[in-house]
Amino acid sequence: MVRAVLRNVFLKSLREQRAALAWWAVGVIALCLMTVAFYPSMRDSRGMAEYFEEAPEWIKTVMGDPSEFTTPTGYLNGELFFMMVPILFLIFAISRGSGAIAGEEQAGTLDLLLSNPLSRRRVLLEKAASMLAALLGLGLALWVGLALGAAAVGMDISLLRLADACFSGVLLGAVFGSLALALGCASGRRGLTIGVTAALGVGTFFLKSLAPLIESLEVWGKLSPFYYYDAAQPLKNGLSWAHAAVLAGAAAFFVALSVFLFDRRDIAV
Amino acid sequence: MDGVAVKAEKLTKFYGRTRGVVDLDLEVRRGEVFGYLGPNGAGKTTTIRLLLDLIRPTRGRAEVLGLDSRRDGVAIRGRIGYLPGELALYDRMTGGELLRYLANLRGGADWGYVESLAERLQCDLSARIKSLSKGNKQKIGLIQAFIHHPELLVLDEPTSGLDPLMQHEFHRLVREMTEEGTTFFISSHNLPEVERISDRVGIVREGTLVAVDDVDSLKRKALRRLEIHFASPVPREAFAGIAGVRDLAVDGVTLRCTVAGSVDALIKAAARFEVLNVVSPEVSLEEIFIDYYHGEGRAP
Repeated sequence: MVRAVLRNVFLKSLREQRAALAWWAVGVIALCLMTVAFYPSMRDSRGMAEYFEEAPEWIKTVMGDPSEFTTPTGYLNGELFFMMVPILFLIFAISRGSGAIAGEEQAGTLDLLLSNPLSRRRVLLEKAASMLAALLGLGLALWVGLALGAAAVGMDISLLRLADACFSGVLLGAVFGSLALALGCASGRRGLTIGVTAALGVGTFFLKSLAPLIESLEVWGKLSPFYYYDAAQPLKNGLSWAHAAVLAGAAAFFVALSVFLFDRRDIAV
Repeated sequence: MDGVAVKAEKLTKFYGRTRGVVDLDLEVRRGEVFGYLGPNGAGKTTTIRLLLDLIRPTRGRAEVLGLDSRRDGVAIRGRIGYLPGELALYDRMTGGELLRYLANLRGGADWGYVESLAERLQCDLSARIKSLSKGNKQKIGLIQAFIHHPELLVLDEPTSGLDPLMQHEFHRLVREMTEEGTTFFISSHNLPEVERISDRVGIVREGTLVAVDDVDSLKRKALRRLEIHFASPVPREAFAGIAGVRDLAVDGVTLRCTVAGSVDALIKAAARFEVLNVVSPEVSLEEIFIDYYHGEGRAP
C-alpha cells in the first residue's frame, strides 16, 4: 500500500495531503449538515422573508433576490455558496498551491527532489495535478455533505445542480491555487505567496460584489474569477460551460506560467 | 566516452552582486576521488548545485559525464547520485518510505542493496525522519545517493554529522565503489578527510579554484602546527634553520612552530632532547590556503 502511493510525485503529494484533506472533508460535511438542518425553520418562517424584503437595496443587488432566500437554491446560495464555499476553497487551494513548490523550497527538500531524473516541468505538473485532485476531493465532500443534508431534511434540490455548484467552487479554487503555485514558483517564498494570493482573493471578491453597485466598476467585475464562479447561478441554472471554461482556462494559464517561471529560476538553499 | 566525468569551463555564478564562483575551470577524471576543498562560503556548494542544474550559471558552462549540465539535466541526474550539503528530508516519512519514494522516482532499486547499506551504516529505516539525529539523517542522505549504483557521486560535505566510526565506514564504501569504477566528487572543509580519501584535490577559495593537485603534493605543502613539550629547557638555536619550519618560538620547555611539508627534520632535531609530548593543534583551512598561495616560494 505504502509502496504504491510512493510511486511518483503526484501520488506522494496526494498522500501528504491525506490528513489535511480528511479533516477538511469532515469539517465541510459537518458545515453542510448544520446549515441544511436549519433550512426547514427558515423555509417555514415568514418573518425571515419579510426581514429580507426590508433589507436595503444594495444588499439585494449583491446577494440576490430576497424572495429567493426561502427556496432551497436561494438558501444554499446565501448561506454557503455566496461566501462560505469560496472562502473554504480559497483557503484550501492557496495552502496547497503555495506549499507545492515554495513550501518545499523553504523546507529545503526541493534540492533532493530535483536531483532525481525528473524535469522541473514534470515535478510541477504532478504537483499541480495533486492539488487539483485534492480540490476535487474537497468538492466531493461538499457535495456529499449537501446531498446527505438535503436528503435528511427533505430539501427539494437537484443533486446534479448541487454537483454543478460544487464543481464551480472547485474551479474557483483551482484558479487561486494555481495562482498561488505560480507566485510560489516566482518567489520561492510561501508566506509572501499566501499573503498576495489571499489579498487578490479578497480584492477580486469585492470587485465582483461591488461591480453591480458602482457603474464605473461594472465592466471590471468581469475580471474577477468570482464572477465566473457564480454569476451564471450554477445551483439554479446548472454549470455555465462558458464561465467554467474561463475559470479552467485561467487555472491552466497559471499552471503554464508556473512551469515557465519555475524552469528559469535558481532553487534557493 | 572520454575520461572526464566533470568539466567546468569558465563557470561563473553571481547571486545578484554576491559572488558564488568565478571563472571556474575544473576537470574531474573518471574513476577518481576528487576532493573539493575549501572553507565555508568559498563556493563549493555553488559549484555542485550548478552541476545538478539546481542553479544556473551566470556565464560559462559545465559538462557532467559528457553531457551539458543545462540541456541534458534529466539524463545527467539519472546517472549521478547527489547528497545536498544542507540536507533536508521529508520529516514525516520514515527513512524506508523516503528511500522507496526516491528509488521509485529513479525507476526502482535493488532493495536488498538498500538494506545492506542501511545495515553497514547502522541506520534504522523504520523510524520517522523527524525523530532522527543529524547523523542518522545524514546516513539516509548517503544511502539515497548510492541507491541506484550511479556512475558519479556528487557529495557535499558527506561526513558532516557522522561519528568517527561511521566516517570510517563511509571511507570504506568510497574505496569499494572506486574499485568498481565509480567517480566521486566530494566537497569538504576538512583537510585530513580529503587527504585520506581523495586522489586529487581542488582547492577553492573565495569563489576561485586556486589549485588542483595530487593529494601527495598537497600533503607536502600542507601546513601543520606543532607544539613540542620537553623535559627541560631547550636552546632555540637547535631548531633554527630546519627546512620547512617557520614561526618558531621556543619558550623554555615548550617549542611552538608551523611546519610546511614533512616534519621529519624537526622531529629528529627534537629527539636529541627528552620529549614529553607532541601536540598538533588543528590548523584552520584558511591558514593552509593562505600559505598554499602566498607561501609557495617559501615552502621547501
